[in-house]
Amino acid sequence: MSLFEAAQAQLLSPIYLGWLLEGWLTTLWAALVVIVVSTLLGVGFAAARTSTRSGARRLAALYLSAFRNTPLLVQLFFWYFGAPSLLPQAAREWLNAGHRFWPSFEVLSALVGLVLYATAFVGEELRAGMRGVPDTQLQAGTALGFTRAQVLRHVTLPQAIRIAASPLLGQYMNIVKNTSLAMAVGLVELSYTARQVEAETFKTFQAFGFATLFYVVTIAALELLSARLSRRQAVLPRA
Amino acid sequence: MKLRPLILCGIAAFASLASLQSAWADRLDDIRKAGVLRVAAFDGNPPFGYIDAASKKQVGHDIDLATEYAKSLGVRLELVPTNPANRIPLLTSGKADVVFASFTITDERAKVVDFTTPYFLVGQQFLAKKGVLADAEQIKDLRIGTEKGTTMEGNLRARYPQARVVLYDDSPFALAALRNGNVQAITNDGVKLTAQWNQLPDKANYEIPPITVSKEYLGAAVPKGETRLLESLNGWLVESERNGRALAIYNTWFGPNSSAPLPRLLKIGDARLASAN
Repeated sequence: MSLFEAAQAQLLSPIYLGWLLEGWLTTLWAALVVIVVSTLLGVGFAAARTSTRSGARRLAALYLSAFRNTPLLVQLFFWYFGAPSLLPQAAREWLNAGHRFWPSFEVLSALVGLVLYATAFVGEELRAGMRGVPDTQLQAGTALGFTRAQVLRHVTLPQAIRIAASPLLGQYMNIVKNTSLAMAVGLVELSYTARQVEAETFKTFQAFGFATLFYVVTIAALELLSARLSRRQAVLPRA
Repeated sequence: MKLRPLILCGIAAFASLASLQSAWADRLDDIRKAGVLRVAAFDGNPPFGYIDAASKKQVGHDIDLATEYAKSLGVRLELVPTNPANRIPLLTSGKADVVFASFTITDERAKVVDFTTPYFLVGQQFLAKKGVLADAEQIKDLRIGTEKGTTMEGNLRARYPQARVVLYDDSPFALAALRNGNVQAITNDGVKLTAQWNQLPDKANYEIPPITVSKEYLGAAVPKGETRLLESLNGWLVESERNGRALAIYNTWFGPNSSAPLPRLLKIGDARLASAN
């Protein structure tokens, strides 16, 4: 066997590379969904944490301690294996059967678990960003006749996001990495397919090597974005 | 100046000789020298290997075999808990010397590890709620759960490509998914399924239909190329059949009075049938 053939035998055949690429695509869109939804929910969470109403504050604090202090894997197991037993049998059967244009139960419970976990962290970063906005902004806004909610939307949040951009992107990187835990509840993402490929081909280094490469590329892209944003921030004057 | 290259050559020659020396000392010698046999075995797949609820220790059919082999070598046994997908990586990375974990012998796996003579014969079967699965024809329409890293997934994909297969990390997870309704049937070695079914509190609601997808021969595995270790293990397996220890261990876990009664399909050392695909 020539050196070229020997080298080729070590590579993964295209069908397995295809599996890994599909897994990577799943990781990307799942991470995107979690990022978008958790940011939207995180705004609500940060607002509740800084609300004037003590009831909202207490609820938000409870949410934070529940979802930040338990391991993500345990939360995913809860949503997949635990929570459905509370639903009526008919609902369970409907969720588990496949439907067009509706995600499978594995995907649904993985996304729910990941979103609820990420919201706690993203929300806290947003709250820290909001704290960085000077108090005078809120006072000036209310003096001008804005309600607190309007001040939040038009004045505080844009500035808070600029301040928290770097740590927020850090949390988004964590979200991408956390999707790998969803393989335990059946989400067919990159880690799941890497394990499948390894079980079929026994090329452990190649299977996990490619998976690592894809993760590194994804995180590096986020890092580049983060660097670009902080450079822009240094140039633009702060309000 | 002429002396230095000579000394460097001498050091290089000595180093290569020394490494050659260690290359000849194989795994069996290492085991005897260290006094420890590291065996990878299941900790979540009764009755082959699982954690006993009362004693919190890892016990099972495979662990009994490993214990007696270690005793025959005169070394201590160290168990490395594993799940199906980690069996080969543990061997190839040197973290385990032998795998005794309900390991199906396949040609693909035999390219990467060395198998002993088969010590067990099982068939791949299904566990489902009563009435869900009566005929092999229905398999392609079902959602089926099984374990990552096993031959089960490959078999299903080869024969029933339209079936929706979800892989779980271990058989207890697959069973939980079945009971929750996430999957309509789980597939595994008939032995594991019987053991799992026997332990269900509501086992009257579940059944193992008489459908077998394939026959699987189980063997122990050693790292590729470790011929002396393989011969030692093979010799011990055949001897244990001859002096009745293999049968005694089988009856402890699968005999008529055990929790997973199953007629014995294979005596160690029987001529192996052509592997059923």
